[in-house]
Amino acid sequence: MKKREFHKLLLAGGALGLAEFPLGLTQAFAQGTGGVKGGTLNSIIQPEPPILNLAVSQLTPTQTVSGKIFLSLLTYDVNLKPMPSLARSWTISPDGKTYTFNLEPKAKWHDGKPLTSEDVIYTAMEFLPLTHPRAKAIFGRCESITAPDAHTVVFKLKEPFGPFIGAFDISNLPVMPKHIYAGTDVVKNPANLNPIGSGPFKLKEWVRGSHIHLVRNDDYFKPGLPYLDAIIYRVVPDGASRALALENGTVQLTQWTDLELFDAQRLSKKPNLATTTKGYEYFAPIMWLEINNRTAPLNDKRFRKAVMHAIDRTFIKDKILYGFGKVATGPVNSKTKYYEPNVTKYDFSIAKAKALLDEMGLKPDAKGTRVTVRLPVSPYGEMVQRTCEYIRQSLAKVGIAVVLESTDPGSYTQRISNWDYELNLSWLYQFGDPALGVTRNYVSSNIRKILFTNTVGYTNPQVDKLADEAAVAVGDEKRQALYSEMQKIIVDEVPIAWLVEMEFPTIYDKRLQNLVTSAIGIHESFDTVYFKG
Amino acid sequence: MKAVVQSFLRHPSGMLGLVILLAVIVLAVTAPIFFPGDPWDTVAAPFTPPQTDGMLLGSDSLGRDIASGIAHGTRVSLMIGITSTLVALIIGVVVGALSGYVGGRVGEWLMRFTELFQTIPAFMLCILLVAILQPSIRNIVIAIALVSWPQVARLTRGEFLALKEREFVQAARCQGESPLSLIVRYILPNALSPIIVAGSLAIASAILIESALSFMGLGDPNLMSWGFMIGAARTMLRQAWWMSFFPGVAILLTVLAINLVGEGLNDVLNPRISRQ
Amino acid sequence: MNLQWLKGLGALGVRLGKMVAVILLIAIFNFMLVRAAPGDPALVMAGQSGATDEAFLQRVRAEYGLDQPMPTQLATYLGKVVRLDLGYSHRQQRTVLSAILERLPATLLLTLSAFAISLVGGVVLGSLAGVRAGKLSDTLISLLALVIYATPVFWLGLMLVLLFSVQLGWLPAFGYQTIGVTMGTWAGVVDKLTHLALPAFTLGMLYLAIYARLMRSSIIEVSHQDYVKTARAKGASDGRILWRHMLRNALLPVVTMAGVQAGTLIGGSVVIETVFAWPGLGRLTYDAVLQRDYQVMLGVFLVLSVLVIFFNWLTDLLYRVIDPRIKAA
Repeated sequence: MKKREFHKLLLAGGALGLAEFPLGLTQAFAQGTGGVKGGTLNSIIQPEPPILNLAVSQLTPTQTVSGKIFLSLLTYDVNLKPMPSLARSWTISPDGKTYTFNLEPKAKWHDGKPLTSEDVIYTAMEFLPLTHPRAKAIFGRCESITAPDAHTVVFKLKEPFGPFIGAFDISNLPVMPKHIYAGTDVVKNPANLNPIGSGPFKLKEWVRGSHIHLVRNDDYFKPGLPYLDAIIYRVVPDGASRALALENGTVQLTQWTDLELFDAQRLSKKPNLATTTKGYEYFAPIMWLEINNRTAPLNDKRFRKAVMHAIDRTFIKDKILYGFGKVATGPVNSKTKYYEPNVTKYDFSIAKAKALLDEMGLKPDAKGTRVTVRLPVSPYGEMVQRTCEYIRQSLAKVGIAVVLESTDPGSYTQRISNWDYELNLSWLYQFGDPALGVTRNYVSSNIRKILFTNTVGYTNPQVDKLADEAAVAVGDEKRQALYSEMQKIIVDEVPIAWLVEMEFPTIYDKRLQNLVTSAIGIHESFDTVYFKG
Repeated sequence: MKAVVQSFLRHPSGMLGLVILLAVIVLAVTAPIFFPGDPWDTVAAPFTPPQTDGMLLGSDSLGRDIASGIAHGTRVSLMIGITSTLVALIIGVVVGALSGYVGGRVGEWLMRFTELFQTIPAFMLCILLVAILQPSIRNIVIAIALVSWPQVARLTRGEFLALKEREFVQAARCQGESPLSLIVRYILPNALSPIIVAGSLAIASAILIESALSFMGLGDPNLMSWGFMIGAARTMLRQAWWMSFFPGVAILLTVLAINLVGEGLNDVLNPRISRQ
Repeated sequence: MNLQWLKGLGALGVRLGKMVAVILLIAIFNFMLVRAAPGDPALVMAGQSGATDEAFLQRVRAEYGLDQPMPTQLATYLGKVVRLDLGYSHRQQRTVLSAILERLPATLLLTLSAFAISLVGGVVLGSLAGVRAGKLSDTLISLLALVIYATPVFWLGLMLVLLFSVQLGWLPAFGYQTIGVTMGTWAGVVDKLTHLALPAFTLGMLYLAIYARLMRSSIIEVSHQDYVKTARAKGASDGRILWRHMLRNALLPVVTMAGVQAGTLIGGSVVIETVFAWPGLGRLTYDAVLQRDYQVMLGVFLVLSVLVIFFNWLTDLLYRVIDPRIKAA
C-alpha cells in the first residue's frame, strides 16, 4: 500500500469517527510496505495431510497448508497479543462479556462471493461443533453470536472468559464459507480436497505423494499482497532426503519436525540459512510422562516425585532433542501466559529417588526390581522411541522396571483412552492460555475416556476451584495470582512428570523476510513474506 | 556316524564355517562376562567413533556401546533362529511325512497346500503377521516358522515317497508294524540327512528375516538385536557409519558360517557322483 | 493341427483356473488374518482412524457385515475382492486400489530391473566360473557369491549408499527422482536411471549370487554330458560349445529357480524400497505398517501374490521357449 493511500485512509477513518483504531491496523499496514513482489517459496510438508480443511482435521500438516488458504478473525504476535486478520478491529465490553468484531468489508472467498458475518456465525455455531474438539468448550460459553450487519459479529458470553480473545486464530476459528458447506455433510464435502477459502493463496493443484501447489489470490483484500507468486509444499517421505533438499536449495523452508533434530543442528550452522525457534509460542508443547494416578504405587505422590528425580531431563534435552528445548518445570510452558517459575524443584538425583521409594516401603527384590510398569510406545517416530528407551534405563536404576510395548496408532489411542497403561509419553499444545490448553489435563471434570483429557485421573478439588475461577476472572493480575497458586499445588503433587519444553527449528533461506511474525509462525498466511535480493 | 564326522573334519569350507560359528556361540555365552551390564545403558558420549574413549566399536545416538550390543545381540539372533527353525521343522516334517507316506490324492492336496505357502511372498507375510499380531518375540518366531516350513515339507515328502518303497520298509510293513512306527522308526531316521541340512540353512535364513523385521521397526522393543541396531542407525549413516557397519558384519559372518557348515554337512551326508 | 491348438488352450485354461484358485485362497487367508488379530475386527479394518470415529466404525461394520455369520461375511468380502474393491484407507482418504495402482509402476520398474540384472549377471558370472572350474576366477566368483548370499540385503544397501553416495557422490542416495527435474526429457531419463541404479543393483545382488552358483554347477554338470564331449572331440571351439550346446540346457535349472525366487524377490523389494525411499508398493507397505493401515497392507499382500503368480507363469513361458522339448503339462 502506498503512503498516500494510507494517509487517505487514516483521514477517512477519522472523519467517520471510529472510536477505536487499534494499533494492530497500523502495524499490519506498515508491514505491507517495502516488500518485493514475486518468487516461489518451496517448502516441505511432512507427513502429507489427508485433507486441506483445518476445520475438519486439526492435524499439524493440514494446519500448515490451510493457514494460507483460510483465515480467522485474528492472529497473535509472538507475545500472544491479538492482531487483526479478517477482523480489522474489535472491542471488548468492560464487563468482559461482549466481544464485537468489525470484519474486513473487502474480504472475498476464492470463488468471488463476499465474506460476511453470516459465514462467521455459521462456522462457530454449526460447523465447528461437529468437527472440532475444542469448539464446544470455547464457543459453547456464548449466550449468543449475532450479526447486526453483514460486517459485524457480536459474541455474547454467559460469563466472562479471560482467554476468549485468544481463541480467534485459524486453529480455533477458521472461517468457513457458508454457501459451500451449509446443508452438506461437512466431513465428506469435496471442498475439503479443493478448498475455497479467503486467504492470500489458493490451491492450484495437489499431486498426492508429490506436492501441493498454492498460487497468489489476486482478489486478496489487502492490496498489494501477497508478495509471493506461489508456495509449493513438497512431499518427501525420507528424512535424509529432506535435509538434502534444504541443503542444496531445492526447498527454502523447513519447519516443525521436517528435519531430524541432528540434521537441524547441523544445517542451522550453514551460512545461507537462518534458524529460529520462534513461531511456536501458541503451541508450546511440553513433552511429558503421564503417570496413571489410579493404580498403586503410582497413586502415591512420593512415587511420582521419585520418577521426576530419576530422569536426567537435561540429557534428554541435549542428547535426544539436540538442544532444541528447555527443561520443563511444571504444567505451564514458560512461553504460555501466566507461567509461574517459583514451584517445587526436582533435580536429577538417583539418591533422592531411591530414598523416596524406600520411604514408601517399596523393597527391591533379588534382581533389584521394586515394581514393574508398562509404557506403550506411541508409533510417532525415532525421538519417541529413543526417549522411551532412555526412560526405561533411567528408571531401572532406581528399581522401577519398565516394559516397552510397541503399538500402532489405533491400539495406542485405545489403550490411553481407556487408561490401560502405567506410563505414557506424550505432548500437547497449550494454545497460549492455561484455560485453553493446560487445565484440561488436571481438572476432575475432564476425566474422560478420550485422548488429550485428564487421562491420568488426577483429582484435587482445590485445583478444580482455582481453574474455574481463573477462567472467568477479569484482569491479568487476578488470573496470574490464581494460576500461580494452581501451579504450585500441581507441581508439588506431580500427577505428570514434565520433561522438556519442546522447541522446533524453522530453518529458512536468509533472503526470506517476514517469515515468522506471530505466535503461530509458519501456520500464518504468509501474505507479507518475500524474497529479498 | 564316525565316518561322517571324519569326512566333515576334512571339508575345508565346512570347517571354516564351524570355526566361525563356534566363535559366535562362545561370544553369545560369554557376553555377560566380557560385556557386563546392560547394552541399553548410556556409557559414553553419543556418536563416539570406534577406538575412542574405550569404545571398541563406537557408541550410538544415545551413547550406548555398540560392541556390547553386538555381543548381547548374538544371543537374541541365535535364540530366534534356532527356535523358529525348530517349529518350522516340526510343522514341515509332519506335513511332509503325511503327504509322502499317505500319498495319493491326500498327499497331492497337502503338497498343493504347501505350494500355496511358497507362492506367497514370504517376507511380506512375515510383516503382515507381526504387524497384525503385534511385535513380540513370540509372534516373530511364529511368523518366521510359518514361512520356513514349506521347504522342509517338500523335502520330507520327497524323501518319504522314495523311502517308503524301499525293501526294508516293505518288509517291516509285512511284519505288521503300525504306520506310525514305520514312519518314526524306519523311514524318518533315513530321511534325516537332507532335513538336517535344510534345518541348518533355515537357521541362517531365520536370522536374516528377523534382522530385516527389526530393521523395519517390527522387532521386540525390549530386545537388543542386530537388525534393531542397524534400523536405529539408518538415519545417521553420514554421521556415524559404525553404528550400522558392525552389526551388519556380525550378521554376515554368522549367516556365512551357518551356510558353510550346512553345505559342508550336505556334501558329507549326501554325496553325489556328479559333484565336482 | 487343430487338436494341438485346442489342447494348448485347454492347458492354458487349466493353468488360469489354478491361478484364480490360488488368488482366492490368498484372499480367504487375508480374511482370516484380520479376524485372528486381537481386538475388534472393525477397529482392525478401520485402521488407526477408527479409534475415535464411532460413525466410521459403524459404517465399516455395516459394509463388511461384521455382525453377520461368518460364511456371509466371507462371501461379502470375496465379492468385493472380485470387483477389485480392496477397501478404503481412511488415513490416505482414498481407496486401497488407487493407492496400490499409483505405486505399482515404481515397484515393477524396480523388480524387473533387479530381475534382469540378477539373471544376466548370474548367468554370465556363473558360466564363467563353471567353464573355468577350479581356476582362480572360479574361486573368486564362488567366494563372492557365497559372501553376498550371507549378507542382509538392507545392510548391503546402506553400505552401498555409504560408498557410492556419501563417500564418492556418484549416485543419489534416496528417492525416485531429483525434485525439480521434469520427466519425459532426456535429463529426466538419466535422472531416473541414476536413482534406479543402487536399489535395483542391491536387490538383484542376492539373486545374482544364487543364480551364479546354480549356473556354475549346472554348467559343470552339463559339461559332463555325452553330446558336449562329442562336440569337443569333433574339434568345436570352446565358445561355440558353450553357446550352442551347453547354455540352453544349463539355463533350465536357473530359470526354474528364478520362478521359485519370484516370491522372495518381490518380498525383498519391500526392504529395499524402505531403505532407498523408493515410492513403490514396498514403501507403501512400510508406511501402512507404521500406521497399521491394515486394509492397505492386505491389499498389497494380495496384489504382490498375484504378481508372484504372474512371474511364475512368465518363467514357465521362458522355460518353454528355452526347452522346446517340454510339452504343455
